[in-house]
Amino acid sequence: MKTLLSILGGVANVVIVLLLAPFFQGVLRKITALIQSRQGPPLLQPYFDLLKLLGKEDIESGESPLMQRFAVYLSLASVLTVACLVPMGFAAPMNAAGDVILLIYLLTLCGICTLLAGLAAGSTYSLLGISREMMTMIALEPLFAVAIVVGAVHTQSFRLDTVLNGSVYASTAFPWSGVIMCGVMLLSFQAFVQRVPFDISEAETEIMEGPLMEYSGPKLALFKYAQMAKLVIYSALFVTLFVPWGTGLMFPLGWLVFWAKVSGLVLLVTLVAATHARYRIDQAIRYFAALLAVALVALVLASYGY
Amino acid sequence: MLVCLSGALATWTGGRKPVVGWIAFATVVVSSLLVMAGVGSVLMFGPGEPVTCLEVPSLGFALRLHVDGLSAVFLALIATVAIPAALYSIEYMQHHLEHGKGRYYPDFLMFITAMYGLVSTTDMMWFFFIFWQMMTLAGYTLIRFDPMNPGRLRAAKKFMIMMQIACAVSMIGAQLLVNASGPSSIPPMFRYDFGNISGHLPMLLLKHPGTVATALALFFVGFGIKMGMWPFGQIWLPDAHPAAPSPVSAMLSGVMIKTGVYGLMRCFLWLVPAKACVDYPVHYWGVVVMLLGTITLFTGTVQALRQDLSKRLLAFSTIGQGGYILFGLGVCMTLIGSTDCAVSALGVAAFYGALFHTLNHGVFKSLLFLNAGSVLHATATQDLNKLGGLMRYMPVTAVTALIASFSIAGVPLFSGFASKWGLFTAAIQGNSACRLLPLCAMVAIITSAITLALFIKFFGVMFLSRTSAIVAERTHKHRRLEVGWKMRVPQVVLAFVCVVFGLLPVLPISLIHRAMEGSRHGFGELIASTPPLPSGGWAGLGSMNQEFIYVPVFLAFVLVAMFLVTRRVAKLGGSQRRSAKPWLCGYAREADMHRYRARGFYAELKRYVNWMGGAPRPQTEPVPVSDGK
Repeated sequence: MKTLLSILGGVANVVIVLLLAPFFQGVLRKITALIQSRQGPPLLQPYFDLLKLLGKEDIESGESPLMQRFAVYLSLASVLTVACLVPMGFAAPMNAAGDVILLIYLLTLCGICTLLAGLAAGSTYSLLGISREMMTMIALEPLFAVAIVVGAVHTQSFRLDTVLNGSVYASTAFPWSGVIMCGVMLLSFQAFVQRVPFDISEAETEIMEGPLMEYSGPKLALFKYAQMAKLVIYSALFVTLFVPWGTGLMFPLGWLVFWAKVSGLVLLVTLVAATHARYRIDQAIRYFAALLAVALVALVLASYGY
Repeated sequence: MLVCLSGALATWTGGRKPVVGWIAFATVVVSSLLVMAGVGSVLMFGPGEPVTCLEVPSLGFALRLHVDGLSAVFLALIATVAIPAALYSIEYMQHHLEHGKGRYYPDFLMFITAMYGLVSTTDMMWFFFIFWQMMTLAGYTLIRFDPMNPGRLRAAKKFMIMMQIACAVSMIGAQLLVNASGPSSIPPMFRYDFGNISGHLPMLLLKHPGTVATALALFFVGFGIKMGMWPFGQIWLPDAHPAAPSPVSAMLSGVMIKTGVYGLMRCFLWLVPAKACVDYPVHYWGVVVMLLGTITLFTGTVQALRQDLSKRLLAFSTIGQGGYILFGLGVCMTLIGSTDCAVSALGVAAFYGALFHTLNHGVFKSLLFLNAGSVLHATATQDLNKLGGLMRYMPVTAVTALIASFSIAGVPLFSGFASKWGLFTAAIQGNSACRLLPLCAMVAIITSAITLALFIKFFGVMFLSRTSAIVAERTHKHRRLEVGWKMRVPQVVLAFVCVVFGLLPVLPISLIHRAMEGSRHGFGELIASTPPLPSGGWAGLGSMNQEFIYVPVFLAFVLVAMFLVTRRVAKLGGSQRRSAKPWLCGYAREADMHRYRARGFYAELKRYVNWMGGAPRPQTEPVPVSDGK
């Protein structure tokens, strides 16, 4: 029964993410257009884009097309697997498969697939892009890990449902570490979902989408899909970690509150993205290093019970 | 104990100068199988009594071999890596014909024998010395063997000097303990016996805690030099490992380093008898070991980031991974002395993580060195700047290298993740015993991201990217680049072990547990009586209260299902595939000049970590001028 429930929950999460991700992207594009005084595409445009790309010609430019295919399929697959681990309005479906440490490393797996795909494509621009992407990942993965570990230290547990439930505020004293980490994560959130001002690895205007440059047709569709899904999943993670209020409500209400919070976060991402200019990679590294230093201070505070 | 027999067998043929590598291979297989049988019997029936093989009362020493659980684990590792390395040597060493194989194989066998001896002897003075010297001398000749490598002499000398220092320091430590314990009734030839020294310790800890601490510090330095601990490792390790022929590098890095780990575990956890643990400040030693481990893992990995020679990169990363093992051991020692049952259980979990990581590292690092060796064999260069696009020409090497890279970088479902997971969970949960633990664990997590960057570069630049001029030229000349089956089989076998350990971590963990039950001495008693991370459902790992859990099989199932779904989605539109050259603004013909080289990777990040040291190239090798001209 438990197994059946967890499978059902996982499938439900995957389906919700797949259905909602292009919609959020549509909202994002529409609002960006409004801010920039343009008409903007219709809200459903991303769905049509994806469908159209699936039927387009698939050009493989690399030395090892098998690797390209493998990386592309795995990138969306790993994002969807993460979707099974994150609670979205209900308890985390695959609680029995792993803990938060696994979650940290699975999130990097999505990034690794993009890196492999970029390397396999063999274009100079792709390599430039993946070098930048990797440097960003080195800084970002620990930031997220600190946030999770702060929660784990407070609750003395690594279970997904315990930690991903506002655990960063679960200390006995005033949760300084949780508040600091909330700020740090907010300041770096654009980078997690790869939007301006931290979309340095793709940077359409300088290195032409970097790792994705050589991809077309269904492969591009899958990449874009994975990216949209990432926006939803990271927003969900942020909400479960830092904005836990209202999740315990009755079924339709709690669920609605959860998705309202996620939408709010997406709106915030859009506003920041539409009003900022991109950073250079060295500026970004310095920025992340400063955030990481603050995060480590938060971790020390957490281990002393604050 | 069959070990004595097999060791003798290996030495005997080693001295006989075999004409072809096959004899050496057969010797290694036979001796490894005997060792495996010995290990198996220890696991099944518990350890036997120490065997005294050779007694020379007039000189006051006796060779006493004893295989208990801890030795069994290390013996199994040596035997597992030795067989593939020996098979690999046969083809790899063919182009060194001009120097005669006679000088290679005896040393190789001697090296293996010495390692078997070192982990099973109980004598802390003479036979420790003899085995150590056998290993060092054999290692020395093996490192300076490769005539094509200009830096080899300097590297070999450094190796020699550092190993002698390590040896001397450890022996002084043993002498100190024996002297302080005063005269005893035991015959002088057993004076340096492990059991004897251990028996005197409770009294010593009470009377001369300073002497014991000095001795332990000396052991720590000695074995630390061996396992490449910061700051000693950086002196010899990155020069010695790349200079040796690749199968030897694999043995050096995968296995020889582990004798240092063995020594540390023996001294810190097994030496002090259980009843004297109250007087033994294991907690403070643990904090020291853990901090040094953290420094080692961070510096080693960051320095590796700056390298652009494949085997040198691997050598630096060996320092880094050694740091993880040291970190695990430190966490274990910090927690295990606690009176709180739950905390000491976490210490045991960290110990399992450290030992599991030792095994894993032995397997995937030797695999990586064999991969680098295959590429070196096929293209005659280990300069990452000149390589590219090899996946098309060397598919087997590429796939095994990918598996090894994923394992070392800690990608879930591969072996490295399972052991690192154990270390991190134990370290973070042990917060209540030492406030530094979560911080050090976080440094380790940051480092694992850097390791990932390292191996993305290592794998991507060699096997993916675009075909470089040198690779194109070699393919043109030789038609096929992939190495022969004698070199492919060892790689496939090791890669298989990585995957199995990754998917079913319960297997090695329960093996280690089995071994520990046969090794009850000092803290071994506690380790043996605490059940390891018991299996959750579907053969995963997890704690008793399910506070942390990892079930790779379940996860693999979900991931594969999702993979199939995405594959199906990609085919929905029925689009056609076509291959084309990558777009390069119309300058595709000058592609080789526009290749993105290994040197360019992470340039912005490398600029910020220059102060950490670790010169990208050894001084003995001339820096090539820009090869675009």
